[in-house]
Amino acid sequence: MSNITKKIISVVLILVVALVITVNSSKDYKDLKQQLKSSLIAHNPDRELALFSLIDHNNNEFSNDHLKGKWTLLMFIYTHCPDVCPTELLNMSSLRTLLLNNKSKIIPEVVAVTFDPIRDTPKVLKTYVSHFNDKFLGVSGDQKQIDKTVRSFGAYYERVVRDENGESVTLQSEDPLPASAVKNGYTINHTAQIYLVSPDGQIFAEFPTPHNIEDMASDINLIVENY
Amino acid sequence: MFNKTATTIFVLIALLGMNTSFAMSHKSTGIVIQDPWVRSAPPNAPALGAFMQIHNNTNQDVKLISAHAKAYGQIQLHRTINDNGMMRMVEQEFMPILANKKLHLKPGSWHIMLINPDRVPSEGEVVALKLLFDNGTSQTVNFKVRKGQMMMKNHQHSK
Repeated sequence: MSNITKKIISVVLILVVALVITVNSSKDYKDLKQQLKSSLIAHNPDRELALFSLIDHNNNEFSNDHLKGKWTLLMFIYTHCPDVCPTELLNMSSLRTLLLNNKSKIIPEVVAVTFDPIRDTPKVLKTYVSHFNDKFLGVSGDQKQIDKTVRSFGAYYERVVRDENGESVTLQSEDPLPASAVKNGYTINHTAQIYLVSPDGQIFAEFPTPHNIEDMASDINLIVENY
Repeated sequence: MFNKTATTIFVLIALLGMNTSFAMSHKSTGIVIQDPWVRSAPPNAPALGAFMQIHNNTNQDVKLISAHAKAYGQIQLHRTINDNGMMRMVEQEFMPILANKKLHLKPGSWHIMLINPDRVPSEGEVVALKLLFDNGTSQTVNFKVRKGQMMMKNHQHSK
């Protein structure tokens, strides 16, 4: 074989390999997207989750590693929430039952991270979250680490406190909480997406509100099959 | 001929009357509360949600202005608003129930927030709330504690 032929073969081989890599890495899940009923694909290999270090409700470290090697449904909550968060937790409990009854291949682990670690200690979360399902895991931690995690998932929250005249004042998530607020109480406005995290520990899809659990179950099965 | 017409008219009037009284017997006057319930919550829940349908069977708009019960630190009227994905819980001065309409308090919408319970009631228990309206009336209603409504169309029991 002449040198030129060898060179041509090498170039062709390199091109083929490059093409295969390009096609695989830019897998855009076009067909899957069209079949999904209630979720949006958030898979983006160029945008990884920030590294975080939190504490779960059994006082174990909860870092990015916890999300690897399995499917997870991750949500943000706070226990002083009278309406949205209990609704979401109940929905996730029904979703789990539905997936189990349908003999789904994958039953994702449900993880509830608090926006509000000042009031939601691991102990508080354990009692609260386990009430909805004893397989659920509550996660608390340092407020800065929580904020980093919230931002990285694309979630958002703001605290609503009362000033001396009893008027509502909305703080941004980074604003310090006045000492009086802990005593007088405060509420939290927040996004309520539920995130489906794939076994590489990255967000694969998100479910915007309101959540229909039958559609969620069917989407989860489709995503797992096509992943 | 006259007799026949008179009889027909009489029968018609009687039927109309029956219709009215039939309708009246099913439509209570005033403000009627249907399906009052409190969502069962974890034993350490700092806040509970209470829900119901308020029927205003009067010709005047009314406002629910407050709710009262002993065993709670505070009781507020709230509405959850989905503002482009941001769930805002907004305290309300009152809940409006228009004349001859109803207001449905349900998860993700209007609700009564029971804050700092002395003890979180268990499923099956009853929470008595006194509701005050702006027309000067009040009523004490028993709210049954139960699990939240599921959004599922039921497939599980069909097998």
